[in-house]
Amino acid sequence: MSGMRPEQELPTQRLVAVPPPQVRGPDANELLARVARGDERAFAELYDLVSARVFGLIRRVLRDPAQSEEVAQEVMVEVWRNAARYDPGRGSATAWVFTIAHRRAVDRVRSEQAGVERVRRAAAVSAETPYDDVVEAATARIEQQQVRRCLGTLTELQREAITLAYYGGNSYREVADLLGTALPTIKTRMRDGLIRMRDCLGVTLA
Amino acid sequence: MTAVDIHSLVGAYALDAVDDLERVAFERHLRNCPTCAAEVAELRETAARLAEPVAEAPPPRLRDSVLARVAHTPQERPKQPAGRRAEPGRRWAWVASVAAAVLFAGGVGTGTWAITRQHFINQTSQVDAVLAAADARAVTQDVEGGRITMIISPSHDAAVALLSDLKPPKGSYQLWMIDATARPVGLTESGSGRFYIRGLAPTFGLSKEPKGGSKTPTEVVGKLDLR
Repeated sequence: MSGMRPEQELPTQRLVAVPPPQVRGPDANELLARVARGDERAFAELYDLVSARVFGLIRRVLRDPAQSEEVAQEVMVEVWRNAARYDPGRGSATAWVFTIAHRRAVDRVRSEQAGVERVRRAAAVSAETPYDDVVEAATARIEQQQVRRCLGTLTELQREAITLAYYGGNSYREVADLLGTALPTIKTRMRDGLIRMRDCLGVTLA
Repeated sequence: MTAVDIHSLVGAYALDAVDDLERVAFERHLRNCPTCAAEVAELRETAARLAEPVAEAPPPRLRDSVLARVAHTPQERPKQPAGRRAEPGRRWAWVASVAAAVLFAGGVGTGTWAITRQHFINQTSQVDAVLAAADARAVTQDVEGGRITMIISPSHDAAVALLSDLKPPKGSYQLWMIDATARPVGLTESGSGRFYIRGLAPTFGLSKEPKGGSKTPTEVVGKLDLR
């Protein structure tokens, strides 16, 4: 991420040693297209690109490291198996991968836990305010800061509704219970909160 | 639910915060509403960005085991290999295919569902077909502290049974399709699970059985009229 140098001050012969200013890694969309053609090396590259976010997201929802590892493995194998079904016209490759990861994590949470126990755990999650819990191991990506900044532009209710659902794996009914707020209000806050996030992040589908 | 009611779930849907029944209803709604589908795709994309701030490096062994498994895992063919059109109205299909791809997979490895991985692979597209069928309808019943939902498609002669939060059985829950006789169609030791069932009958039944199931129902705890 720090490949930019003040090149004008370097002697000509030293320019050779300066690494190309590659700010971004390989493009996930391109990698996934190669994966769809059975390219295992492309898959390994894609794994390196997305695995921290896949694992981190699953871990956030499930909490348990061993279970998270198991689900992350299932998700990545699923990405390999279904790569040909990804259509770039309908969203980015990373969103496709994270959508699968999130669904799997939520399915696991809902299939394994009784309602009461889950709600209790969700309450513990909400107390942590995930958006300011910086994961040191991850590189300080511009995207991370942007997502956190955009979460910060939401109203408290919008933010809580979205994080309790997405990071806590709760249904909107459970979120309404946890926040003591009417169901229609929660549905609306999830929608208008996401819309505000979308506009803040500049998310558009070509 | 009216179209307005169901569309109010768009945010919750994008966050995976709806239950299975609502998801099916919402995805059916999307098929008839291209602009809704575009909104969903954008909100899904937005929600996925929430993975950024919680990134956490997995243990290195995960990479090794994933790559080892991938080396022995065949890939699915694309769903629509030729002549695929990209009109906006079909954006929902991307969402739906993701949903279907994970619908059965969530419990694989937990040991709670009475299906094998190979069954799962075979069943993914079948479940997809039932959920997407134009004639699909849902029947629900509260039973054993939880709920059974059946998504039924007569044109596919098939159903998807969803068990959610039933009290864990002492032995097993067994699923049956019942007409003149009762045909066993599934077995689980958990109070939650999803089952693809081929072959409809007038009645669906759920019974408590000794572990491993029985040839005929022992104690029927739920009956749903599928007609």
